[in-house]
Amino acid sequence: MHNGSGADALVIQDLHVSVDGMPILKGIDLHVPKGEVHALMGPNGSGKSTLANTLMGHPAFEVTGGSVTFKGQDILELATDERARLGMFMAFQYPSEITGVRVSNFLRMALNAQREEEISAMEFRRLMMEKMRLLRMDMKFASRYLNEGFSGGEKKRNEILQMAVLQPELAILDETDSGLDIDALRIVADGVNTLRGADMATLVITHYQRLLNYIVPDVVHVLIDGRIARTGDKQLALELDESGYEAMTAAQEA
Amino acid sequence: MAIDARAPGLTRRAVDEVADAGQEPDWLRAHRRAAWDVYEATPNPERTDEEWRRTDLRWLRWESLTPASPLDSLDRVPSTAPAAALSPSVTMLISAGGARVIDISPEARAAGVVALDLAEAARTQPALVRERLSTTAVTPEQGKFQALNAALWQGGALVHVPRGAVLAQPILVVTCDDAALRQPHLLASLGAGAQAAIVEWWADAETDAPALVNGATELFADSGSHLTYTHVQGLSSGTRSILSQRALVRRDATFTSTNVTVGGRFHKARVEASLTEPGASAVMNGAFRLGSRQFVDHHTTQGHLATDGTSDLLFAGVLDGRARSVYAGTIVVDPKAQRTNAYQNNRNLLLNSGTRADSIPRLEIMADDVRCTHGATTSTLEPSHLYYLCSRGLSESQARELIVEGYFEAVLDRVPHEGVRDVLRGVLTAPASTRDGATGI
Repeated sequence: MHNGSGADALVIQDLHVSVDGMPILKGIDLHVPKGEVHALMGPNGSGKSTLANTLMGHPAFEVTGGSVTFKGQDILELATDERARLGMFMAFQYPSEITGVRVSNFLRMALNAQREEEISAMEFRRLMMEKMRLLRMDMKFASRYLNEGFSGGEKKRNEILQMAVLQPELAILDETDSGLDIDALRIVADGVNTLRGADMATLVITHYQRLLNYIVPDVVHVLIDGRIARTGDKQLALELDESGYEAMTAAQEA
Repeated sequence: MAIDARAPGLTRRAVDEVADAGQEPDWLRAHRRAAWDVYEATPNPERTDEEWRRTDLRWLRWESLTPASPLDSLDRVPSTAPAAALSPSVTMLISAGGARVIDISPEARAAGVVALDLAEAARTQPALVRERLSTTAVTPEQGKFQALNAALWQGGALVHVPRGAVLAQPILVVTCDDAALRQPHLLASLGAGAQAAIVEWWADAETDAPALVNGATELFADSGSHLTYTHVQGLSSGTRSILSQRALVRRDATFTSTNVTVGGRFHKARVEASLTEPGASAVMNGAFRLGSRQFVDHHTTQGHLATDGTSDLLFAGVLDGRARSVYAGTIVVDPKAQRTNAYQNNRNLLLNSGTRADSIPRLEIMADDVRCTHGATTSTLEPSHLYYLCSRGLSESQARELIVEGYFEAVLDRVPHEGVRDVLRGVLTAPASTRDGATGI
């Protein structure tokens, strides 16, 4: 299963992560196979974003134990850009605003970074138009500066646009639903659903069950205090919506 | 033209030799001599002068400066100046031997554009030169370097776009030489209602020997004209430079200047626009990108001398290595200049903790019905921005480059000529190998 041909795209084993010497993740085990959508739910402070950013290689998060492999390759030694070029992608909760950098120029550069041969201007334009249509985005968007002056919804849509263009093999959506109204949520979810398929593994990180009405997960994990407290199917998310995380925390402690 | 055997040093005799070499008319020789007197009477700049407080001139040995021997004039644009990308209407080359036009488009010819060596113009077109050369825009009385240029400029150019003429393609004036002391002088004027872009480019002939460029640029925008002026300082790593640049902008004329500095090891620039008649406006842009131990000092002046003028300045710098910059900007509003609207902004991005950027705004406002504001920001690279870009597969150096390029877009957006904008974008985003070569001191 570690030869890249198996079902598991992402394999996390006994992962421990600290920030400023404080343990946040305390032994995570998680397998996300190709073609599946896994949801990772949990209350604030449970370590959801820490896990996402650790997977992406954020320098502030220190791995103190365990392993993470992607397509059979140990990624913990890789820099963030190397992970991205291997096919990993994270949709940010708070995407950066970068002045003077146009969305299309940036995306073309990012796409070329992972390709052997540069994409032609025409082919790239066609790709952008197709993906922007998918996400119901105005074409003017492509020439705007990256996230500068974007509304919350526009930023999230822009994240999904980048995902659609880069076509990763592992997509991590970090609280992509936060700050979205219901229409924007639908559009974003439609985008993800169009892209999910046999080749992409998806990890949807969310506090609320709402997003999972639109992106229906194959597996749901619940993260409490740095550990996976429960794993189940989509029913688990509905259960949580009714009883809340507190009941589960209590159950875990019992 | 043989003055190869000249005795070293800056002397009154050298002034006459330069005038002889250019077969200059008597009035010009008298001009030069008068400037020489001012030069001799002007003390050397000292650290105690406000303008030179942060700018170290200890490297300068006045006694070792010697006027250049005229080279054979250049016959091609140096590869560092992308003439082709600009498709200029006129291409002029300046070296110590004089200025020459190597290309002029039929449109420019038909429009009556005058492009001449300045000494020749002094003989044949005195009406365009005599009243203006070193008399009103950049004058000997303004300082030691300005007096020296007025006395001993070698390699001057006159560019004049006549009344009402409209040029779509820019006029390119390239100064390129390998002399140890170069003193180019550009005199450019637009007649009433004319529209043109002029790009002045300072380059080095392929050499890294120490050199000093002391240049003056005098710009005149007559009533209702639109002058887009650009200066590119793309000198090589051994060269130090001093630029005195001033525009006089008349009634309802608009002037846009853009100063882009990437080369040399020391660059001191006075950049001024004076709005001399009502309704004139100036947009002043600056972008500098420094590395290694490069030093750049910009002193800007937005001079409001008449009513209803507007000026809007933005200078942005990116510093890496151990580079240093000084920006000092003054807005001057004359008592007559009511209803002035002036804005000044300086931004610096520091890529390295060894860099330093000083920013000194100054307002001298003597009218009461005015609106003048200024701002300055100095920032460092945001690690979260790098992380974001790297998470899309860009290497850290690609991510930094992209952020730096983006930083300059706010300035480039203000350059009204698309072709010029594209060329400047290229200058500011030159590949790292070239840039390191240009700044590796």
